[in-house]
Amino acid sequence: MSQPALTIIAPGQAAGRRRRLLEIAGAAAIAATYIFLVLTQPADIANGPASFSALVALGGFLLGAVLLIAAVLPALPTSTVVLIPVALVLNVVLGQLMGSTGLPFYIDAIGTVLIAVLAGPAAGAATGALCSIVWSFFNPTVLPFAAGAALIGFLAGMAARGGLFRRFYLAPVAGFVTGILAGVVSAPIAAFVFGGTSGLGTGAIVSAFRAMGDTLLAAITKQALISDPMDKAIVFTIAALLAYALPRRTTFQFPFVRRYRVLAGKAPAAPDA
Amino acid sequence: MTPRLHPFTTLTLAVCAAVVTTAAAYWPLSVAVALAAVILAARHGIAGRVLTAGAVILTPLCLSLLVLHGLFFPEGQTVLAQWGPARVTAEGLGFALELGTRTTACVLVFLLFSFTVSVPDLVSALAGRRIPPQFGFVLASTLTLLPAVAGRLDRIRQAQETRGMVGGRGLLSRLGTLRLQMVPLVLALIDDAGSRAQALDARGFGSPGPRTSYREVADPPAQRLFRAAALVFAAAAVAGRIMASWPAGAAS
Repeated sequence: MSQPALTIIAPGQAAGRRRRLLEIAGAAAIAATYIFLVLTQPADIANGPASFSALVALGGFLLGAVLLIAAVLPALPTSTVVLIPVALVLNVVLGQLMGSTGLPFYIDAIGTVLIAVLAGPAAGAATGALCSIVWSFFNPTVLPFAAGAALIGFLAGMAARGGLFRRFYLAPVAGFVTGILAGVVSAPIAAFVFGGTSGLGTGAIVSAFRAMGDTLLAAITKQALISDPMDKAIVFTIAALLAYALPRRTTFQFPFVRRYRVLAGKAPAAPDA
Repeated sequence: MTPRLHPFTTLTLAVCAAVVTTAAAYWPLSVAVALAAVILAARHGIAGRVLTAGAVILTPLCLSLLVLHGLFFPEGQTVLAQWGPARVTAEGLGFALELGTRTTACVLVFLLFSFTVSVPDLVSALAGRRIPPQFGFVLASTLTLLPAVAGRLDRIRQAQETRGMVGGRGLLSRLGTLRLQMVPLVLALIDDAGSRAQALDARGFGSPGPRTSYREVADPPAQRLFRAAALVFAAAAVAGRIMASWPAGAAS
């Protein structure tokens, strides 16, 4: 009966190393897939539906996302794990609320960014990837974008750790940069798996670049560079506004917020221990 | 009807159908897969839900494909019509047809899976394998949280309206009403999550080790064999596609 308690230290270290390896393998799978797709795309797209590239994109990006989840999820504390469903629900509900204001953006990552700000990059990456997987129960087209969503969560967490959420004007800048990277990584999925973009508005921008003779991947990458940075700048701003609108008692209960002084202002005088 | 299929069997079937459709890149097959998904949905009595959800996702996607590739396909040779910079080419229309039917087939197959699967069965099946138990929790918790949040948002809106929240026409006033609803919702959800974490921790949620489940999902050997065969078939389809396409991909 006492065996688990006695043997818990050594496997714990081994498991930590295994998780680190899984994390690296996941990131490497995503990066290698992207590089491979960019290098092999031109001949493929003209020859017909990019079935080979679609399989490579789906396989590589999903493998990377699954490896990242397997590496990060078991190591997260319970207080962070219970936030992941909240993030997904916020992504959906706040996205719909923002849609009701009539702004022309697909603001669908507020929950992910908010959790990344409160709980750190690892939690953000796991939240992004898991949100895509669970949301694909209702809309299967978001599943291939799991790697891009994980990248958004990770970068938001790194920006929070770096103190970019302490000044209100730095949050949109961080969002802008995140949007550039996430848009570029997600472009091969949009190009090879869906052959374009899902929206009519973004489709019109892609059409304009195609009319100028760009390849499909180039056109979609340029479209992503136009719409994604703007979109993510807005998402980061809303997440920052929400983080500051929440009571201190709530935000400062997160160890990540206290340790890296993510938000401006002092911690509440009496820690709620 | 036949005894319930194990959740992994239906999941494997959905994944294999999507992979084989993508690998084949042959639009009659895509149409056949989509039709099969609709017929199966009709037999389960959920054709209406699957088709409605599918239409919401697929209509903008297919329209965008048609406009994008139907009018602008610089690689196309056979020009059917031309207005200024827009050229309708046979190749472009073919490309849009291939991708549209392929995406339709994959979306309908996955919607059929997610609308027929029993979530408690799926979660207990996941807990029985070497999948982190947190994953099952996130899945089940989200699916139960979503309807609850819709109700909560409605109550928040009613409460704020009794305090004088009026939706105006201008963007600023609309953003103002948005803030009045978003902040209480986010605060309540995060607060709830904190107390849920304590309750879960008190019941050993975060501790390592194997989990047991009250729920047993039968997994007959025949279904295991079938899953293995389906996976081998899908892998063969992918291998065939890679062998056929590799020179074209690597030549550039």
